[in-house]
Amino acid sequence: MDKLKSLFYQDSLLEKLHQIQITYGYIPEAEIENLSEKYQLARANVYGVISFYSMFYTEPTGKYIIRICDSISCHLNESDSVLRAVKSYLGLKSHQTTEDKKFTLEVVECLGHCGEGPVMMVNNKIFTKINKNKALEILNDCM
Amino acid sequence: MAQEKLYLKGDKLLDISNYEFKSIKNALRIGREKTIKKVKDSGLKGRGGAGFPTGIKWEMAAEVEGKEKYVVCNADEGEPGTFKDRYLLEERPLKVLEGIMLAAYAVGADKAYIYIRGEYSKSIEIFSEIIETAREKKILDANLFDSDFKLELKLIRGAGAYVCGDETSLINSIEGKRGRSRIKPPYPIEKGLFKQPTVVNNVESLCCAAEVLNPDSEEFSELGIKGSKGTKLLCLSGDLNKPGLYEVEFAQITLAEIIYDLGGGIKGNEDLRFVIPGGISTAVIKAEDLDFPYSYQAFEKRGSSLGSGAVIAVSKKHDLIDLMLNVSRFYMDETCGTCFPCREGNRQINKILNAFKEEDRKIETELISDIGNTIRLAARCGLGQSSLNFITSVIENYGKELKFGGKIYA
Repeated sequence: MDKLKSLFYQDSLLEKLHQIQITYGYIPEAEIENLSEKYQLARANVYGVISFYSMFYTEPTGKYIIRICDSISCHLNESDSVLRAVKSYLGLKSHQTTEDKKFTLEVVECLGHCGEGPVMMVNNKIFTKINKNKALEILNDCM
Repeated sequence: MAQEKLYLKGDKLLDISNYEFKSIKNALRIGREKTIKKVKDSGLKGRGGAGFPTGIKWEMAAEVEGKEKYVVCNADEGEPGTFKDRYLLEERPLKVLEGIMLAAYAVGADKAYIYIRGEYSKSIEIFSEIIETAREKKILDANLFDSDFKLELKLIRGAGAYVCGDETSLINSIEGKRGRSRIKPPYPIEKGLFKQPTVVNNVESLCCAAEVLNPDSEEFSELGIKGSKGTKLLCLSGDLNKPGLYEVEFAQITLAEIIYDLGGGIKGNEDLRFVIPGGISTAVIKAEDLDFPYSYQAFEKRGSSLGSGAVIAVSKKHDLIDLMLNVSRFYMDETCGTCFPCREGNRQINKILNAFKEEDRKIETELISDIGNTIRLAARCGLGQSSLNFITSVIENYGKELKFGGKIYA
């Protein structure tokens, strides 16, 4: 997707944050300083924007961000059992990262594949119709 | 057997060299005013959930004076149960592009943005490629088909916030702010993006507008009935045998046919309890009351709404408190926090429901309905206003079965 970067709306703070997030895996303090100067915003305002959006982090995340949907359609198809299995397998709660910085777990809302739930996303890749076993297999493939 | 009517749904439309842009060519030929009139006469209503007439929006925007005018395509699809815009972005992006061009041409805007939610990485990738080729082919950034119309289109990716689906929140987000809703008026039509007149249209609405202007599908505007014209994409999910995306003509199919014919009925040996007809911001429709034609007005009459077209079937095997807690958590997490009745109200509802589940405490249904009314009256945006529709409708319809104050077993 990087070659297409120029197509995104470059002036926007949101896009800048995306690019920093992609580069570092999080948004480091020094970059927040830079942005605050560039956009003439108080640092607190830049933080305010970052903290509003769930896909931005101010702490390093795991190499793999695991997002599991638990909104209603997935929930009706037993996403909670997938969640329980993944949580206990990784020893994580939502928003936590493993010590080896391999996995970050996020229990998220609708990922827009409601007809094929439960749904799990590993970084940018979507997996549909998962169950406990499939979810653990997917995690194993990341190891 | 109920039939689909296919206009928006169909073969992949990804190859710009083989796409004829018939709708925008038609619009350029008949001119701005007639384009708007066609959309207005078609009775097209916004497909994002609020159902505002698209033609009227365009007409008002065309009349407003501004230094610049903007068109924003709202592709921040986030209502649980909804995946139609993702389908259009991934499989029919040229139709979406054409819809954006039409809106811009009609209202006199030369800049447009498409805001795609950050989680839709495949849609973002596909649509950015479409924009790139459109620039190369001089469809964008150049005088289109030798006319005086020229459009610049930029893509913005969201970063994870349901509430940015509200048009004023979306505008704030494009401006690089927290995605909080704005006080209306002024409406975006007068003062939107960068304080300029701005039209915000949903992906599906724009694709419908492209059908209205398409000389090959002149009958599109005749479909449906007064008040509910054209077709609607339905996202079927939940406890169904055949979930997925379907397209139907308004008022020519009943909700029962949608569930039992298109959706293939309920999975396993379960019985249907209710249908959530338009995503979790809409009131439930009981299984006994599905025999009515699918239209805006039929849902309105039942105190609900067809919302975004997310039709979710819920069977009797699920615990109602568990479902209410699921929906309540969604709103508690996703409220933007600007209007305190929405922020605090949704948190309190979650507390009340949790206390009921964990401690077998009595549920004060009146308190829930009071909180619901307060949010409905006081929240700025549609997402907040509708945040308790599901929960209050479950309580209204199934309160007795829940045996409030006693042991529940739904």
